[in-house]
Amino acid sequence: MRASTATAEVSADDAVRRGRLRLDGVRKVLGGKEVVSAVDLETEPGEFLTLLGPSGCGKSTTLNMVAGHLTADGGVIEVDGRDVTGTPPHRRSMGMVFQSYALFPHMTIADNVAFGLRMRKVAAAERDRQVAEVLEMVGLDGMAGRHPRQLSGGQQQRAALARALVIQPDLLLLDEPFSNLDAQLRVRLREEVGALQRRIGTTTILVTHDQEEALAVSDRIAVMADGVIHQLDRPREIYLRPGTDFVAQFIGEVNALDGTAAGFTRDGYACRVADATVAATPAGEAPAEGTEVRVYVRPEVVRIRTDRTSGLVGTVRETRFLGSRIRCVVATPAGDVTAALPFDADVPAVGEEVTCEWRPSDASLTAR
Amino acid sequence: MAAIGRVSDGTLSRPRWRTGLLLALPAVVIFGLLFAAPLFTLVANSFRTQTGAFTLSNYERFLGDPFYRGVLWNTLKVAAMTTIGCLLVGYPFALYMRGRSPRVRNWLALLLLSPLLISMVIRAYGWLVVLGPNGPVAAVLKWVGITPPQLLYNDTAVLIGMIHVMLAYMVLPLMGSLDRIDPTLVPAARGLGAPGWTCFWRITLPLSAPGMLAGAMIVFSLTASSFVTPAILGGPKVKLMPYFVYTQATTTLDWPYAAAIGFILVVVTTGLLLGYARLLRRNNGDVVFQ
Amino acid sequence: MIRLLGTGFACLVGLFLIAPVLVTVASSLTTTRYVTFPPQGFTLRWYAEVFRKEEFLSSFVLSVGVALAAAAVSAVVGLACGLAIHRYRFPGRAALEGVLASAFAVPTIVLGIGLLQWFAQMGLASSPFTLLLAHLVLTVPYTVRLVLAGLAGLDRSAEKAAAGLGAAPFLVFWHVTLPAVRGPLIGGAFFAFITSFDDLTVALFVVTTDLQTLPVRIFNYMQYDYDPTVTAIGTLMVLFAAVAVVVIERFVGVAKLFGADTEQNR
Repeated sequence: MRASTATAEVSADDAVRRGRLRLDGVRKVLGGKEVVSAVDLETEPGEFLTLLGPSGCGKSTTLNMVAGHLTADGGVIEVDGRDVTGTPPHRRSMGMVFQSYALFPHMTIADNVAFGLRMRKVAAAERDRQVAEVLEMVGLDGMAGRHPRQLSGGQQQRAALARALVIQPDLLLLDEPFSNLDAQLRVRLREEVGALQRRIGTTTILVTHDQEEALAVSDRIAVMADGVIHQLDRPREIYLRPGTDFVAQFIGEVNALDGTAAGFTRDGYACRVADATVAATPAGEAPAEGTEVRVYVRPEVVRIRTDRTSGLVGTVRETRFLGSRIRCVVATPAGDVTAALPFDADVPAVGEEVTCEWRPSDASLTAR
Repeated sequence: MAAIGRVSDGTLSRPRWRTGLLLALPAVVIFGLLFAAPLFTLVANSFRTQTGAFTLSNYERFLGDPFYRGVLWNTLKVAAMTTIGCLLVGYPFALYMRGRSPRVRNWLALLLLSPLLISMVIRAYGWLVVLGPNGPVAAVLKWVGITPPQLLYNDTAVLIGMIHVMLAYMVLPLMGSLDRIDPTLVPAARGLGAPGWTCFWRITLPLSAPGMLAGAMIVFSLTASSFVTPAILGGPKVKLMPYFVYTQATTTLDWPYAAAIGFILVVVTTGLLLGYARLLRRNNGDVVFQ
Repeated sequence: MIRLLGTGFACLVGLFLIAPVLVTVASSLTTTRYVTFPPQGFTLRWYAEVFRKEEFLSSFVLSVGVALAAAAVSAVVGLACGLAIHRYRFPGRAALEGVLASAFAVPTIVLGIGLLQWFAQMGLASSPFTLLLAHLVLTVPYTVRLVLAGLAGLDRSAEKAAAGLGAAPFLVFWHVTLPAVRGPLIGGAFFAFITSFDDLTVALFVVTTDLQTLPVRIFNYMQYDYDPTVTAIGTLMVLFAAVAVVVIERFVGVAKLFGADTEQNR
């Protein structure tokens, strides 16, 4: 996508002050089942926030309530301090991009993009100028006269994005926008969208079930399951310090070690697992000493040392070269610990006695 | 997302069902007053005497009279023969269509449907000419030295006319079924050593059975209830139920009896379709043609 | 060899399918006073004869008028009903769907006699209006079916997108929903026109001697006369149908109208 500095400047100025979304106890019941229960959420203006979760977790329902396509059964939705809970969608200013792109099949790309401006009764000349500008911004200049079916999936997605952005919305809402694209294009487009969002600074809510996508583009991620937000934090925190078992298991691979809380030490919060003591950072409030806890450690942060025999000691059971990483499974008294070692690391031999280590700040600990 | 499809459950305007009812109202009025009410009147009249008293005599008369039982039997016979005729002509034609390009297929479908798009009266009249004493069939027969027999006003004429109209109703669902057959099945069977004929007999034919059944149902019930084509090509000599409904209602003016014959016709044709629908639901089969 | 056989067979079926039309058109040109094929000589006098017969012209005008009204009303009623069934839950919805479906299954002749007896009971004298009402029962189920198919093909997200872009509900309907069913509506209206224009079965029960649609007029004429005038009318009606077919094919596809799709499904 090529830069269009004019639009970027105008929108960035606006957006710094606009686009603060607040959800307070938002609920939704569909078909007798509560699919969203008391969701609280607040965005910073200009933030890229992702609702991540498996299908049926309530993330799309939440987004549709923000857009106004569904009415909340309880709670308040505010945009920049205005209560929009009961406002119909056409009186909210939200640009939404759908999984199916939802382009109007009987209109050209230019007419699709111009639709929102027409509804706002923008004068023809100004409208044409803005349409041309935004199409250039998403790299679709020259496609203006085509119909949606004449465009590839990626191009359709860009057109849908242009259509949502041209109205300079308070919020940009993206509902699984990349999931109909092939893997390569998905990665490229999400990077483009991320870069574009940072440039124009519109507050953006992305709904996705793809954890890699969420980690790659978001400022913050809200992990949802069964209608509630399990954890809302920056990608790094979500990944390294999962706050619940669901978050830990849903995103990537994790080592979960059960043990007993042993209180703060110089190295962080200590925890007895089997006959060893390991350290981690409590997610939320620190548990009382002696409580049953679980430690979550990502394979990437585990280091294998052959020169020490204290700490979490075990024997190497299996090593496997995976290209970018080497996977190493160590059998310890607390269970198997998987480490993902850099491809150039010294690989321990199978059967060797080793110690598993990690920085306490890279692991999390929750009460069981 | 499951949630999206449900948007209508909770959008902003509350009394949505009232809007729905309002939109459906014209259709409800039309079908209430011009479909449900007439059919109800018909059923009610069939249980009345000419003077209006309740009676079962109209049905007794129909079922007790060998002549009318013969009419019912003949109706079923002509419908069955039309169905078989459509299958015999339609199956090879569907197979032929399957092998053609989408463009050609579309043209062939249009050709099949063309009889349905031409005025019924004109279509039947055309057959009168084709099969008539001055028509091309008679001309060819004369040319080879055969005295042309009477081709019109008998079951055969009705059969020809009906197959002509009904062929599309057989071929199109059949095509649907044939298209659903995995195209790699036949090569797979060939690879296992089955000869071409066996492949057809053991794979293509059984797998296209749902389409055949759907087509047969439609053709049978539509033929049994056809009036115009049999009336023109068969005349009074070919005894079919719809023709008797018509003559009882307009010539004999015995409305209760006409109503009873009509109702029996409805029971026969829709009963068949309902049975078929139940069969489909139980077998969880796909509806090829509704 | 098999291929050749197949083509030969298909050609025979094709000939069978178009034979009545072919023969009707050809024999309308005969100079004889009776219908014959092959035609003898060439004349257009039977066409002149059609236009000289006033009763045919008035029947034509009646048929066209009723058919136009049937087309327009079924389009509007079909659109409203289709929207109601597709979008809303309301009391009686299932019953309405059931009635619409069974309308395809009830024999036309039974409907005709039912209407005859019902109209008589209501004291409704036969008029172009009653004829129109009777024809709506034949045509509305088709337009509803086509509208429903059109709505099923519409991505609901497109409507949401339009609303999100600032379109009020009516504008969403006008700019997004209606264009999605425009083809089915036009096709459905044309089909309603043909159905009404072509109907003989129901019309036979509803008409009187002074009020005869064209098919009824031809049907009655055929009982007594066997001159080539009917073939001339037939040819004109075939031309008429051909135009309609082109239009339907353009907007919905003839095969779809009959509930079957000839394109390969997957």
